[in-house]
Amino acid sequence: MIVCVAVVGHQNNPLYIQSFTEADDALKLHHVVHCSLDVVDERVNNPKKSGPMLNETYLGLLYPTENYKVYGYLTNTKVKFILVTTDLDVKDADVRNFFRRFHAAYVDAVSNPFHVPGKKITSRTFAERVSTIVKAFGLSSAG
Amino acid sequence: MIGVGKMKQYSNVLDKPLNKGKQEVSLSAFAFLFSELVQYNQTQVDNIAELERRLEDAGYAVGARVLELLCHREKGNRKETRLLGILSFVHSTVWKVLFGKVADSLEKGTEHEDEYMISEKELLVNRFISIPKDMGTFNCGAFVAGIVRGVLDSAGFPAVVTAHFVPMEGQQRPRTTILIKFAEEVLRREARLGG
Repeated sequence: MIVCVAVVGHQNNPLYIQSFTEADDALKLHHVVHCSLDVVDERVNNPKKSGPMLNETYLGLLYPTENYKVYGYLTNTKVKFILVTTDLDVKDADVRNFFRRFHAAYVDAVSNPFHVPGKKITSRTFAERVSTIVKAFGLSSAG
Repeated sequence: MIGVGKMKQYSNVLDKPLNKGKQEVSLSAFAFLFSELVQYNQTQVDNIAELERRLEDAGYAVGARVLELLCHREKGNRKETRLLGILSFVHSTVWKVLFGKVADSLEKGTEHEDEYMISEKELLVNRFISIPKDMGTFNCGAFVAGIVRGVLDSAGFPAVVTAHFVPMEGQQRPRTTILIKFAEEVLRREARLGG
């Protein structure tokens, strides 16, 4: 179950946060996303020699908290995608696939001439596409 | 996607891949649109520097979006962190997508460490434009300079980019050069990364 997805700009300003369960507190999810930004920065600034290549966009599992797992993805423009999920057996390939489609939806939203870079993404189409991708992710990992 | 012709010629229309769609945009449509852009901006400003700045700002917005699009579509999810990497990305991939061919040449400046030049015999945007004498050194390539600046800035390489005419002997129309001057922090980071 995907709990929340977030898009964070290159100055760590939130561009889009959407939660998909009513049970959890939105503030707590904001906090989780915020903490994960530190992990992203640490990964970027201290490349582990044995870790992933420096110029790879998918960052993988950032850190597991009490009952969430947080995955990260960094684009070339320093925009970060954060995925918070409660699934325990999520396959890596599924998450990569999710981020690929999410990136496509993000690129389409940013290509909108009325979108101001650095401001929140207010496109309804983007929100609909994201919920479609989230639903597809839930189905594929369960089945 | 702007091209004077198709990027790959298919002898038989049935051989064309179905899912690619139309890769080319009509050159005359773009030329009209660009000329309208220049004319509109000309009515709004009082002097040439302002006109150049407006064209550059328009190009900057295009550049930022082009970078997002290309990184997702062409680069296969890789990021550019090195100076030469991003320059060759601009020089080949960006140019190919925008103008249908790679840029003519990429050179490193001789006087300063932080200057690079991308040259083009004739910029596509300038093809149907001739600058009146009283406008001095104004170059509509400022639009392309803005695109390059947008790409570099969004990728984390702040730079000052300008377009210049360079007269060549033996040719009627001068060559256009895009001059890229990187900011201090880019050079420091490049040195730190072991360039």
